[in-house]
Amino acid sequence: MFIYNRLHFIVGLIGITLLTSCGAGVNDPGKEYSPNMYHAVPYEPLKQIKDVNAGNWVSSLDNGEGEYFSSNPINPDSMNMREPVPNTVRRSKKGFLPYRVPKDSISWAAANLKNPLDSTQVVIADGKVLYDKFCAHCHGTNGKGDGKVGKVYQGVPSYTSRPVKDYSEGHIFHVITHGIRRMGAHGSQLSIEERWKIVRYVQKLQNQ
Amino acid sequence: MVKKFINDRITRLLQIKALKLSFTLILSVLYFQPAFSQESSPGDIPSDEASIAAGKATFQELCTVCHAVDKRVVGPALMNVYERRDLPWIISFVKNSQKVISSGDPYAVALYNEYNKTQMSNFDYLSDEEIINIVAYIKHETDNPATPQAAASEDAAAGGAEAVEQGGIPSQYLTAILAGLLVILVIILGVLMLIISVLTKYLKDKKDLDEESQELVAQKLDFGKFFTSSGFLGLMIFLFAAVAFKSVIDGLYTVGVQQNYEPTQPIAFSHALHAGEYEIDCNYCHTGVMKSKNANIPSANICMNCHGQILTESPEIAKIYKALDYDKRTQTYGPNQKPIEWVRIHNLPDLAYFNHSQHVKVGGIECQTCHGEIQEMTVVKQHANLTMGWCIDCHRQTDVNTVGNKYYDQLVELHEASNKNQLKVKDIGGLECSKCHY
Repeated sequence: MFIYNRLHFIVGLIGITLLTSCGAGVNDPGKEYSPNMYHAVPYEPLKQIKDVNAGNWVSSLDNGEGEYFSSNPINPDSMNMREPVPNTVRRSKKGFLPYRVPKDSISWAAANLKNPLDSTQVVIADGKVLYDKFCAHCHGTNGKGDGKVGKVYQGVPSYTSRPVKDYSEGHIFHVITHGIRRMGAHGSQLSIEERWKIVRYVQKLQNQ
Repeated sequence: MVKKFINDRITRLLQIKALKLSFTLILSVLYFQPAFSQESSPGDIPSDEASIAAGKATFQELCTVCHAVDKRVVGPALMNVYERRDLPWIISFVKNSQKVISSGDPYAVALYNEYNKTQMSNFDYLSDEEIINIVAYIKHETDNPATPQAAASEDAAAGGAEAVEQGGIPSQYLTAILAGLLVILVIILGVLMLIISVLTKYLKDKKDLDEESQELVAQKLDFGKFFTSSGFLGLMIFLFAAVAFKSVIDGLYTVGVQQNYEPTQPIAFSHALHAGEYEIDCNYCHTGVMKSKNANIPSANICMNCHGQILTESPEIAKIYKALDYDKRTQTYGPNQKPIEWVRIHNLPDLAYFNHSQHVKVGGIECQTCHGEIQEMTVVKQHANLTMGWCIDCHRQTDVNTVGNKYYDQLVELHEASNKNQLKVKDIGGLECSKCHY
């Protein structure tokens, strides 16, 4: 009887220790409660398990793969995401077509591109929001080239300095898209419409 | 389109030719005698205060972006530049550096290659006089370098002020004081025990005590009896059961909750540095946060917007270069690119739907509300527990921002007719099961 009681005690202790170790640690995401409901069956864009045997113990698949294996072996590096097919045209509400003027044709862009968005209060306000998120850390909130990154990065001109002050809207749009000298290309982060909105706000900063 | 390009190219070429011609003309008129004797003499450079002041203004407007007099910045340090090159060379380089480089000038080509083929902007709108004034300012700065003593004394003053501001007891002293107090307490305890034993001995020797007092003196602490007493055992069992119950409940609550998960990432990217110290907006890298369900893990080309140019020697940045098969010497990308396998931290179960744009753009929620003080995290850690209770709590408490949105007008009217509280997320379906589970 006494031993039986002790056994209960020990089993209880082990149980408690096991339970308290279910939480997440530094490199351990912890235990899952109902893993079959946690892991997606279709391919997820930003989450993938590359271990083919993950979830073998509950697997009902005929091909021998684990239940939680979620990488696409057909794609390069078993990635779930792929780059769009070359020359893909992105759908946009205003029907913007992709900007395909090459980087070295900046003078053509400066002379010929026109902003499709009017300089309205709404466009400039939207442009300011985008500018503060995507440009201000280098160019500064007032376009003086004095953002926190700009000071360390160096080579960021003020929008009011002589050549920059007179840059046309086409020039600004082309530079945002492709970058220039030390500045990187931001075409992948901003849609065409967003870039034109920023252009409107930058023009305001040029003339402050 | 193509025709336009070609036309554009031709006009550009003609322009350059015309510029070249006019440039040579101007040069020959201005500098025919002193400057064309290949050795530059400092006598060409004005030293009057007006020229230096004008030069300083232009220098600060246009040049400080990339140059300093006394140190290498983006471009070379300009100290003594008038001794290294003659004035006509400086003028033509400032006006159109590409032209000088493509003309095959060995010094210009060497410079271009030394600075990783970084192009200097064309300053063709500057007059020769303006450029000479800039050189005058540089000469003035070279001859009268800013005294390092002044800067040093400023630093010392700042340091002194900092030292004065430091007050209170430092933590190491505090521990020492606590340890001292503990030692004193132990000594007092010992002394008290000693007094008791001395007193008992003294009382035992006395014969004229009554029975009750004798019993009291003879009494001993029986530890064995105390530990087996039912009161003590009962208390212990109760305490043990309570602690065990609490740990079981706590343990059960951690199943499937990944709070405090802080995995090591393949590249030691620090949010504290990028988002904190340099105040880069989250949206700059997490481009999907306003538009999509996912905030997105930034692709490596966004890293390269800055790190193609800065911190190119860091071993961590080298990992990005390796993933992109990027050669920093030629600044070109190779074909053997590999994805960077970041470790996902926030793993919402597939049974729940969450959309970033809905919360960040429409709801106007700050990133920190759910992700904690990301701008202070060197390694990102899951801040919230991401349980359903946590979601629902927020939906119960958060007001809906209905101002200026016609969609809500009638809804607000209806709500106010029957309810005194402001319209909350729960009132527009924030507690509906099928909003997140379907």
